[in-house]
Amino acid sequence: MLLWIGIIVIIIVVFFLLIYWGFYNRIIRMENRIDNSWAQIDVQLKRRTDLIPNLMETVKGYMKHEREVLENVTKARSALMSAKSPQENIDADNMLTGALKSLFAVAENYPDLKANQNFLQLQDELTHTEDKISYSRQHFNDVTLAYNNTIETFPGLWFAKRMNRKTRDMLKIPEADRELPKVKF
Amino acid sequence: MEKKLLVEDHIRRNKRQTIIICSFMALLFIAVVLSLGYILFAGNIIIALIFAIPIAVGYVLITYSISVQAVLSAAKARPANSNIREEKLFIYKVEEMSIAAGLPMPKVYVQDSDNINAFATGKKPEEAVICATTGALRKLKPDELEGVMAHEMSHIKNNDILIMTVTVAVVGAIALISELVFWSLFWGGGARGRKGEGNAIIIVLAIIFVILAPIFSRLTYLAISRKREYLADSNGAYLTRNPEGLAKALEKIKEDHPRGKPKGSKTVAPLYIANPFKSVSVSSIWSTHPPIDERIRRLRSM
Repeated sequence: MLLWIGIIVIIIVVFFLLIYWGFYNRIIRMENRIDNSWAQIDVQLKRRTDLIPNLMETVKGYMKHEREVLENVTKARSALMSAKSPQENIDADNMLTGALKSLFAVAENYPDLKANQNFLQLQDELTHTEDKISYSRQHFNDVTLAYNNTIETFPGLWFAKRMNRKTRDMLKIPEADRELPKVKF
Repeated sequence: MEKKLLVEDHIRRNKRQTIIICSFMALLFIAVVLSLGYILFAGNIIIALIFAIPIAVGYVLITYSISVQAVLSAAKARPANSNIREEKLFIYKVEEMSIAAGLPMPKVYVQDSDNINAFATGKKPEEAVICATTGALRKLKPDELEGVMAHEMSHIKNNDILIMTVTVAVVGAIALISELVFWSLFWGGGARGRKGEGNAIIIVLAIIFVILAPIFSRLTYLAISRKREYLADSNGAYLTRNPEGLAKALEKIKEDHPRGKPKGSKTVAPLYIANPFKSVSVSSIWSTHPPIDERIRRLRSM
């Protein structure tokens, strides 16, 4: 009798250890995925700040009367470079998106500029980086949501508490049409 | 969040159906191989097994290992050239979608053709290939191309590319065996009269089965293909958060009447986003894809 009880207790303990093992790995894997997708965003943001000086150099010769537009881009870029927290980064990036949008809109009035191969390439690449940033943000939120769901629902909740894990913040993604007014500092 | 759950439910259901269909395919394949051995060796099942299994497995493995190259050369595809603006923007779109899906960047190919079409292939997400026709790059707007790429990326994410590759190999193997048996009847070979009456009947049945098997395997294959198109559509819409892009692209495919004959072989037709060979609005068990109008309707109702 005692032997049987012992065996049953051992089975239950092993069973719980296995589940704990599974959840531990799962939670760690998900955290790594979140960190990795943040790193992705960071790479794209860096790429974007690197492209801006080239763009300014190309545009300068053509846009003599658009000081405000150019200044906004430069300001947004330095805000992005000095941003620290993820949300600060994203906010500064939204600012830059808006500033670039008005720059490219103004560029429509300069046929010579639009014919410049260098400008076209920079425009393509900046648009591409912008799209990559918005998709990496989306992916970041996807994996963060999956993580939060795991640690907030049973039985993940139970293990997450044991591991001292808390939900992560998702990035607030503003709607596209709300981005433009933000350019006014 | 509600939509996400919906998509995940779709994925779960899709996986279950895929397992059922694939097991059916595997059973069919085993039965064909056994019948072949039975026919050749006049009912000696052991010799039949020893003979037939290595050949069948070998065939599938070889087809599997050369599949990507075979598909690309059947489509006469070439790597995308980043010096051409259209193709550079195409590479950009693929990269964006791979980021959205959280997958490694696939290799990007282009097929010279006036049709609007695209396909994904490969054995696993790490070695995937995405290919689009030059017609698609020229005629689709950025958001439409994005929708199509999201659809292909979902095929990669759902592991459709592996399942389709394996089923293409099995369908090919069954067709080959069936043809062998069919022609060997003309040569008068086989097992006629070597054994007793009882065996003869089984052998005749085996022959009939083997000759009909390609029809079953093809229908199974097409069923797998159609199921996965709907799922890739809805997952793709989830990636772009914009079902309208893919819906508009499908509309363009429907209304597009390119000159010249479509290229590529019919075996790989299910890999494409829309069947390059047939009319697009009729639904039948012989279709590689669901009717395009129904796909558009589902996307618009998301």
